Parts: sequence; C-alpha cells; structure tokens
Amino acid sequence: MSFGAQAHAQASGDPVTISALHKRFGALEVLKGIDMAIGAGKTVGVIGPSGSGKSTLVRCINHLEPIQQGRISVGVNGTTVTARGVENAGRVLSQGEVARYRAQIGMVFQSFNLFPHLTVLGNILTAPVGVLKRDKKAMIEKGMELLGKVNLQDKAKTYPAHLSGGQQQRVAIVRALMMDPKVMLFDEPTSALDPELTGEVLKVIAELAIRGRTTIIVTHELAFARDIADAIVFMDNGKIVEEGTPDEVLGNPKMERTRAFIGKMA
Amino acid sequence: MSLERLGRMLWEYREVLLSGIWVTIELAFISMLIAMVVGLLACFGSLSRSRILRAPAILFVEFCRNTPILVQLVWVHFAWPELLGFKFTAWTSAMIALALQSSGYLAEEFRAGIESIDKGQIEASQSLGMTYVRLMAFIVVPQAFIRMIPGILNQFVTCFKSTSIVSVIAVPDLMYQAQLIVTATFLPMPVYTVVALMYFLMVFGVSVGVRRLTLLLPNFGYFQTRKEAPAA
Repeated sequence: MSFGAQAHAQASGDPVTISALHKRFGALEVLKGIDMAIGAGKTVGVIGPSGSGKSTLVRCINHLEPIQQGRISVGVNGTTVTARGVENAGRVLSQGEVARYRAQIGMVFQSFNLFPHLTVLGNILTAPVGVLKRDKKAMIEKGMELLGKVNLQDKAKTYPAHLSGGQQQRVAIVRALMMDPKVMLFDEPTSALDPELTGEVLKVIAELAIRGRTTIIVTHELAFARDIADAIVFMDNGKIVEEGTPDEVLGNPKMERTRAFIGKMA
Repeated sequence: MSLERLGRMLWEYREVLLSGIWVTIELAFISMLIAMVVGLLACFGSLSRSRILRAPAILFVEFCRNTPILVQLVWVHFAWPELLGFKFTAWTSAMIALALQSSGYLAEEFRAGIESIDKGQIEASQSLGMTYVRLMAFIVVPQAFIRMIPGILNQFVTCFKSTSIVSVIAVPDLMYQAQLIVTATFLPMPVYTVVALMYFLMVFGVSVGVRRLTLLLPNFGYFQTRKEAPAA
C-alpha cells in the first residue's frame, strides 16, 4: 500500500518503504508482515490498541529494534534495513555507518529521554556538534531560534529536571530537528503528558516538526491525527487492519475492528 | 606508661612513623588510581557483546574479587617473577596486588552504575546518530559516575585499610614501621594503639574529605525539583 507515492517534487523528506516486515521477540511475533510505502514529505498516523505493534514498527525503521524478515528502505540512496542489519548495495554497514544512517532519522519518544546531566542547550547541541561536526556557534544560533519557536528560549540554561513534561517534549522535538532529519518518527509523543500539556506539544509537531519531512506518528490523539496526517494506518495484533485517508479510516471505517477501536477512543 | 613518655617515644620515632604514613598514603592512592583505570576497562569488557572480550574480563573480575588480598599479595610478589622472568620491588608487588583487588570490585561498581542508566537514554543517543563509544563517553558514563561515587569511596576506604597487610612482604608502610618500633621498644600496647588511631584519622579524614568534595559536583537539578515548582 502506498501513501502519496507520487511525491511532491519540492518535499525535503525521504520516501520510506516497508515490505513484508516481521519482528519477533523470542517466540512472540509482534509484527506479522507489514507493507507500507510513504511518499517523500508525507505524514502517516499509526493508530491501534496497546500491544498492536505500532511502537515496534517505528523503532524498526531506525534499527533500534533488529528485524527478522522483510525490508525497510529509507531515502533514495539504497540504504535498507534487513534481517542482516542495515545494508547498502548488499554490504552490511558497520556500527559507525549505522549511526550515520540513524542520524538522518529524527525520533521523539513517549518518555522524552532528555539527557538529565545536560542543560536544554547542551541537549540540543550535543549531536549536531559532536556527531555531525557542525560549527558550534552556528548551532547555538540555530538552537536558540528553534527554542524561540517553541517558546523555550529562556530555558536554554535550565536542566531537564526543572522543566514540565510538555516543555521537555518540546525540547526533545527541537533536539531531533537540530539534526535536519529527512524523516521524523514520533512514538506516542503525548501519551506521558497531562491532558492540559498535550496541546502545546501537538501544536509544535504540527507547526514545526512535520513541515516537508516524511513523518510517521504513532498516536492515540485521533483528532490530531485526522488534522495532520495524509494517511491513517490502523494496526491490531501485529498487522495492518485498515488504511486510507483520515476521512476514510476515522470517518467511515470499513472494518469492524477499526470501528470498535474508534468507538472506544471517542 | 605516662603520656609524657609516650610523647617522647613518638617524637623519637617521628621520622620512621612519618615515612610509614607516606608509604601507606602513596600506596593507597596510586593503587586506587590504577584500579580505577583497570576496573573501567574490565567493566567495558564485561559489558561487551564480543565473547572474546567479555569472557576474560568476567574471569578477571571474579578472580580479583574471590581471592584474598593476602594470597594475591604473596602470589604477585613470589609467583609472578617466576612466571614473567623478572622481579618486582616489594613496593611494586604491593601496588599491583592492591590494584588487582580493588579493580575487581570497582569493575562491578562501574558495571552496576552503567546498567542503572535508563535504556531510553541509550536509545535517544542512538537515534541522534551517536556511536557506542560516544554515547558511553558523553551520555551514560557521566550520569553513571554520580551514582558510582559512594561505591568508589567505599572501595577506597577498603583499599586504604588493606595497605596494612603489605608489611608481610616487607614494604615499609605504617604497620611495618610500627612492628619495627615495637621490636625496639617492647611496647606493643601504646605503639599499636597510636598506629590504630593514625589509621582511623587518615581513613576517616579521607572519607569525610571525599564526601565533601562530591557535594561540590554538579547535581543537574536532581535534588532541587521538589523545592522549586517547574514552570508550566
């Protein structure tokens, strides 16, 4: 299945193609043959009950979870995640090369995962300066500009322990954006937040993070997914049950299982 | 024995006692420094995914932890020269044995500290393109170090106290010098009492000093969160 496969010429994101993906934890098969093609710059919302494999799916894309079968291609230079690891032109990449592959893919976690021993500025500078070897002065400027956009410019020298959950997640988004990722993965970015703090994070995702990037967002915020996604995928028990435009899947679901899930969430 | 006589005797043997104190302090600090480096290497070895690195590292750690310090001391001093073909001075043997003993315990201390860091920290570092070496050096170890400090301090105290055993191979530490003074004066009670007090003051002084120093380390706001309400 494909979403926006005829990609926008002006989009800066990379296409993501997943085919026949299987993921097992021991005897437990968590992903049972996932196929998905996401055009460059498109946004896909992944919804589904807990344990359906949504989070595992996004974690496989940047190889945080090794896969047992199938392929995931990101971008156009032929880098592919397979059961052997991350490959390019048939060669399994070294750990350093896998790290460079991951650097092109931004990821935002449910539990923020900010580095508690670094200030906000330290958190957002450590990878672009240390990994990408970008000029520190230029990165500070860029970082402060992005922090300004998420209303956290005055928190640059604050440690994460002094920030609210919503503020921490906004910093985590800025930290990912500092790497200029072509693809953004969001793994339930608002699930750990109090309801009154989710709005500020969703606003940042919609207005700052997605723009032009290929985005896969796992979320329970159905209204938000409907607003921002080009396509919605409903997963259950390791399989894609239904997919289509937000209006199709959320407005007029064909499958009974999807209807039941959406009914419960409403 | 009157206090005056005790004072005179201590004054008479001041140089011997001071040189013993110096050897003890020197041994404790140098062996501990070496043990920290070796312990860190052994820790990374035991955490490695490669069996070739992991197996010898675990064996080393377990050997260091499960052999008595006296046995290690005698083994290094009398067996190593035959195995390696060259001799060490008694001081070097003592330093190696103390470092061996401490490095085993420190490796376990470091491993526990590193493993206590949330997996999410490693995943966040990986997703930002960090290699294993970089994420260990800049993200995991700095956070783990704060948690390791009490364990390192405990091991230092143990190492300091263990130095008293090196007199067995004739290293002129404080205990060795005390034995010499006792041989010369036939006054074991006052001499050993004073020496016990000296050890207590040195070890206690170091513990308090290091604990004070650790309070000066940055705590990254860990301890202030309850007092200051986070901004909304």
